Amino acid sequence: MADKTKVGTMWLGGCSGCHLSIADFHESLLDVLELADFEFSPVLMDTKYDEVPELDVLIVEGGIRNEENRELIEMLREKAGLVIAYGTCAAYGGIPGLGNLHTVDELTQEAYIDSPSTYNEEGIIPSEDVPALESRVRPLDQVIDVDLMIPGCPPKSDVVAQAILTLLKGETIELPTTNLCEVCTREKPPAGLAMDFIKRQFEVGKPEDDLCLIAQGLVCMGPATVSLCGAQCPSIAIPCRGCYGPTAKVNDAGAKMISAIASDYGVSEDKTVDPEQVADQLDDIVGTFYTYTLPAALVPAKMQKGGE
Amino acid sequence: MSDDIKIVMFCCNWCSYGGADTAGTARMQYPPNIRVIRVMCSGRIDPQFVLKAFRDGADGVFVAGCHMGDCHYDAGNYKLDRRMRLVYKLVEDMGIGKERVYHDWISASEGEKFKNAVTMMVNRIKELGPCPLKGQLDAEA
Repeated sequence: MADKTKVGTMWLGGCSGCHLSIADFHESLLDVLELADFEFSPVLMDTKYDEVPELDVLIVEGGIRNEENRELIEMLREKAGLVIAYGTCAAYGGIPGLGNLHTVDELTQEAYIDSPSTYNEEGIIPSEDVPALESRVRPLDQVIDVDLMIPGCPPKSDVVAQAILTLLKGETIELPTTNLCEVCTREKPPAGLAMDFIKRQFEVGKPEDDLCLIAQGLVCMGPATVSLCGAQCPSIAIPCRGCYGPTAKVNDAGAKMISAIASDYGVSEDKTVDPEQVADQLDDIVGTFYTYTLPAALVPAKMQKGGE
Repeated sequence: MSDDIKIVMFCCNWCSYGGADTAGTARMQYPPNIRVIRVMCSGRIDPQFVLKAFRDGADGVFVAGCHMGDCHYDAGNYKLDRRMRLVYKLVEDMGIGKERVYHDWISASEGEKFKNAVTMMVNRIKELGPCPLKGQLDAEA
């Protein structure tokens, strides 16, 4: 029998949720283990960073948040043949990326001193044994060369299992190029996606079955999100938050979605609707449209006055 | 320094670009800090274009389209109008400042208005100084 492929997994600035998605392979795990051995995985086994074996495939979860993340990924890049940016944090920065709206000082102040659950009378901000934060969160491909991106928060287990099996068999992986609306089963209104108001879910209550959520006033990120997940959230009446990121044709998912929502808003009475209305009803533009993709956006971090 | 500022301007083919032409043929004088990009309709302008301009080093972005009701494609400028209101909020949240973005309506006959609007925008950006975005990202990379 030919040698098995050596697979490693690594976690950086993530939450380990993506590793759970690997643990959820169920029966597919047997197929994967036929072809591959997990040789390095700090989540699953005891590992030493100075004894990392040569790897064929490295699956990386999480973005680059601190100096340790950067050092480890640069070391691992040398050891690995293929690097997969696995999950939205690795591919686009993910939710930790919203930290890019604040300076490092603001973040440490909040985490170590100001947060209500913290008891730190002397106001000590640890600097030893804790890796220093970098100026902003970065997706993997801004730090090292990445061979494949599998987004998702977390990526669906069967999607990952399929992708890894395809890769192990030496075949080409093709990610979908269509948006979520293509696969969403909800009915699109015949006259286009006109919305007359923007509401949050708790204000709407239970949305109507079978009708597009945008037409019901919810900001569903489906139009700017890749169709890799199969529209799971809209199918149970939860608007898409864009956790899989955009399709490959889009540079900036948030801006694309802003474009879509602003165009759809009151589109049936284009000429009479107050243009300020749509902006008035959305308070947190960055948090709404860039929940998962801020570090990969065209403007990846808040500019500080005077450019620091 | 402030003479080096660059403003990217998007003009729609049917009105604002014509307005620029009118200003040109009438030999009106306006500052040279503006770079005009022609698009078929202001409704074509995606917020990505605005952000991309800043990312690549623009200090300001000016979007111009037909007057309300004059859109060659009926209602493209109405959609742009709504979109820009969100873009103002976005660039403000991202620390770029909403003063660096501006949109206005200029018809093909309004060479004078084109000149005045461009002059106003250039003066406004000169006062604000260069946009720190590109420098900050380049320094970090």
